[in-house]
Amino acid sequence: MSKPDVEAMLASFRADLAAAADLTALDEVRRAHAGKASPLKGALKGLKALSAEDKPVFAAVVNAAQEAVEAELASAKLTLEAAELERRLLSEWSDLTLPGVATPRGARHPVTQVEARCMEVLRRLGFTLVDGPEVEHPFYNFDALNIPEHHPARDMQDTFWVSGGLLLRSHTTTVQARVLEERAKDLKAGKDVLPIRVASMGRVYRNEAVDATHLAMFHQFEGIWIDKGLTFAHLKGTLAFVARALFGETRRVRFKPKFYPYTEPSVGVDVSCGVCDGAGCEACHGAGWVTILGAGMVHPKVFAQFGYDPDQVSGIAFGLGTTRMAAQTTGITKIRSLYEPDLRTLSSLHRGL
Amino acid sequence: MRLTLDVLRQFTDLPADVREARILLDEVGLEVKRIDPSGPGVPVTLELLANRGDHHCLTGLAREVTGRTGGAVKFPEFTPLVVGDAPHPIRVQTPLCAVYSLTLLELPRPARQVVPSAADLAAALDGDDDLSLEDDVDLLEDDADADAAPAPTGSLSEADRARLEACGLRPIHPVVDATNLANLELGQPTHAFDADKIKGPITVRLSRAGERCLPLFQTERVELPEGTLVIADDEKILAVAGVIGCEDSKTDEATTRVLLEAAAFDPVAVRKASRALSIHTDSSARFERGSDFAAVLPGASRVAGLLADAGWSVKGTTGVVSSWSDPGRVVRFDAEACRRFLGIDEDDLELYTRLERYGFELVDHGVRVPTHRLWDIEYPADLYEEIAKSIGYDNTPIGLPAIDMGGLPTHAESVRDVVADVLVGQGFYEVITDGFHGRDLPEQLGFVGDHPLAAHVETANAIDRAYSLLKNEALGAAIEGVAANGRMKHDEVKAFEFTRTFHPDSAAPNGVCTERNVLWAIASGSERARTWAGTARPADASWLKGVVEEISLALKLPLTVGAADASYPIGSALHPGRQASILLSGRTVGALGEVHPGVVAAFKIKRARPVYFEIALDTLVAEPASKPFTEPPRVPPVERDLAFTLANGVEGGTVAALLRASGPTWLGRVAIVDLFAHEEDGRAVRTLTFRLFYDNEEGNRTADEMNQATEALIAVVTDKLGASGVKLRV
Repeated sequence: MSKPDVEAMLASFRADLAAAADLTALDEVRRAHAGKASPLKGALKGLKALSAEDKPVFAAVVNAAQEAVEAELASAKLTLEAAELERRLLSEWSDLTLPGVATPRGARHPVTQVEARCMEVLRRLGFTLVDGPEVEHPFYNFDALNIPEHHPARDMQDTFWVSGGLLLRSHTTTVQARVLEERAKDLKAGKDVLPIRVASMGRVYRNEAVDATHLAMFHQFEGIWIDKGLTFAHLKGTLAFVARALFGETRRVRFKPKFYPYTEPSVGVDVSCGVCDGAGCEACHGAGWVTILGAGMVHPKVFAQFGYDPDQVSGIAFGLGTTRMAAQTTGITKIRSLYEPDLRTLSSLHRGL
Repeated sequence: MRLTLDVLRQFTDLPADVREARILLDEVGLEVKRIDPSGPGVPVTLELLANRGDHHCLTGLAREVTGRTGGAVKFPEFTPLVVGDAPHPIRVQTPLCAVYSLTLLELPRPARQVVPSAADLAAALDGDDDLSLEDDVDLLEDDADADAAPAPTGSLSEADRARLEACGLRPIHPVVDATNLANLELGQPTHAFDADKIKGPITVRLSRAGERCLPLFQTERVELPEGTLVIADDEKILAVAGVIGCEDSKTDEATTRVLLEAAAFDPVAVRKASRALSIHTDSSARFERGSDFAAVLPGASRVAGLLADAGWSVKGTTGVVSSWSDPGRVVRFDAEACRRFLGIDEDDLELYTRLERYGFELVDHGVRVPTHRLWDIEYPADLYEEIAKSIGYDNTPIGLPAIDMGGLPTHAESVRDVVADVLVGQGFYEVITDGFHGRDLPEQLGFVGDHPLAAHVETANAIDRAYSLLKNEALGAAIEGVAANGRMKHDEVKAFEFTRTFHPDSAAPNGVCTERNVLWAIASGSERARTWAGTARPADASWLKGVVEEISLALKLPLTVGAADASYPIGSALHPGRQASILLSGRTVGALGEVHPGVVAAFKIKRARPVYFEIALDTLVAEPASKPFTEPPRVPPVERDLAFTLANGVEGGTVAALLRASGPTWLGRVAIVDLFAHEEDGRAVRTLTFRLFYDNEEGNRTADEMNQATEALIAVVTDKLGASGVKLRV
């Protein structure tokens, strides 16, 4: 048998290899030149027919050729893979200047966000949320809170009356009255009900002509804390804590006399204006202060109404308009729009126009 | 209350710096609502406290300021009137007038003499009052004596007029101006009648049924509610007591004789009259909050003094009918308790000195309340407030009580948060709608006639018709939200609310209604807003069902969506073929579906096809959460797909349920993985692919076993539902 022309085989392999433009073509070259049916494999099989002294010589030549083929195939594979990856990366360019397409989240309402924040702050002081009816008996809305019939304070809250002599609560203080009444029963039964620390919140109603800044329905938030030995200093400390927790630790707080029928003394709480920091600007009408809370020490008449001894217990009560606070925190000037179902407003607050 | 800082400075010292003056006023409870530092005299508007009638005058404001600053109030100077015989007969027939006084003033006018008619005199003298009109006759003689005097101007001085104007009052007539100014200064409203227009004695009484009067500045007579406190003569009503005078007896340019009324009226009586007539005056504002009964004569004296400067003179003495005397109220004051309450350490003397600044007088075990504070000082706490104001609310100590432990959210709060989190994640915005609606909304929804939602709790006095009915369902507001957004060309709506509805119920504890907390959500447009990447599928009822299922999972509650419940109240407003019930442990707690096209049209919605669900929130709160954990199999289940063709109207859920119920115990799950709507024999049908998941946890289930189970299931479905139009698609 003739000696295989390994050189010619390698030349043929290299010509095919040079022509292989992609990994598929390379596989074809591998099959043709390194596969079972390849000439080199044939040459290897043909070694058996050679003489004893030729055999080792040619075996070495064929093996060397095989190794060369394998090495060149591997190298070509790497090159082609790199080229392929390069092509793929180029073809896979994505225009990331286009907007993202995840399912857009919605948002909680600004008023409920404020309510959640208020509860978060009050829980730290040990308060629990209590719910109450919106259609109320006037006793809980007025009489129990030291607002007798024909008292000018009733003018402060134009009331919606409904059938049966009931009304739509004009403030969430009704819940406080109900809690005081309910706990008084336990108190009489000799149970230890103190301290009472409850918060209430929700819709309240005023029979007013509605415009951009006046609403017939809005939201309030209130807290009441009854215990032995609570003082005016505690009232101020609690209010300052709540005011700073809600509006920011750096805000200054001031207290001023106010009138609420169910507290005595009554207190208004101002924080330094967030826009001008107290210098006076349009937002605060030049005052440098913004009123955020109404509060006071629970009125002795309110205690007496439910059978608590005002010489034994005292109480801190405070409330704020969550609607107004939502307007303040969002920058909405026409508070009516907080109660309109215009999703453009709500989504704009959340994600911009 | 409008005034200027310059005018207030005439009554008390204030800091020269406008900003400091403003802070001082705020700190003593005279809140500055508006101030114009560059305006003439520095105009300010104060918001006065509702319980402090005594603040409604300049000396009252000054008193409050000096309680803090310790300065003195500068009272205007005037000579007290002499009380004696009444210049005109007075009859007080009701206890609602505690003090009533009349003073006669005249402006000498040589050219003019006013002589009461014989009939007037006779009518007056015929009255059963023990006072006579003799003084009137005397006065006519005095008039004649005045001939020689220089002609009086009859007007207030420029300075007085300027003061009125600074406080927002327009000079009208010297007599009226004098009463206004005295009220502004001292807080005692007075009223002047033209004496020559009075017929007979002046009577303070309650109005009779059907009585009418012509209040000042009105063009038509108004009927007074029976029992209104009025001032009347024999022929007519002269004034609605404490509220407003009447045209028939008003002073005008020709007036030369006035009867000046100064009185103390019952606050509630004045308030009722003021509200009934919708007439609110400085006078009614003062009386409604309780006037100082001891200020009646000083008030009248100040008016007389002002008018004297203008040439008017008092004739005779002032007549007073009074049933009032100072009760001398003493309020217990324990200095130690006060120190404890405020957390201060001032000694007794300092505390008493502060109280004295406000006019309180130290007596045994307490302080005596000055007459101008009888309406608001009753309890020791009221005195603590005075002390706190005097020190300054910002200057008393501050501290937190001991706090044992923080609180936790209630279960109801947590449920809302979990639900909201799911909905927000699906792109919903929380909205807040009104608690009431107008009468047209039930009509748009078709909730009229004998519909279970036709009855509402109604508001009795709403000033806006939009608030006539308390909301008894949430659907209307939800659809209106879609309509409102549609009007703004915004059809992609996803909104939800935790709201409350009101349901008439005479058996309810309050005898009127029960209240229910409701969660609702509405969606229109697509599952998610269209982007450059293509349009998402529509936000239809199936998608919304998925949202409810997500809520169910998040709450760990067995909330399911099942066949529509015909008795569910809002069902009539939903598409009859596209609605379902929401069930909790098998009980209907809500509904889900597409809004009925007729209702959509009634709300003038053009493009959107809103889908809606609502759930009774309280039921979610009441149900205990529970979802036992099931370990996922280590070996993947074996899947077999079965396609059945269903006649339209046959629900896929029925087939799935039958498969689930009929399979072997090791049939883990049945899922619907494909829907193909097509026609068969000219009829619309749907082919659904059901994927069966066979558990093969032990790896010993043979293919034959599974094939046999599948064949058995095909047989069951064909047998039980074949007649309804379900057949295997081969």
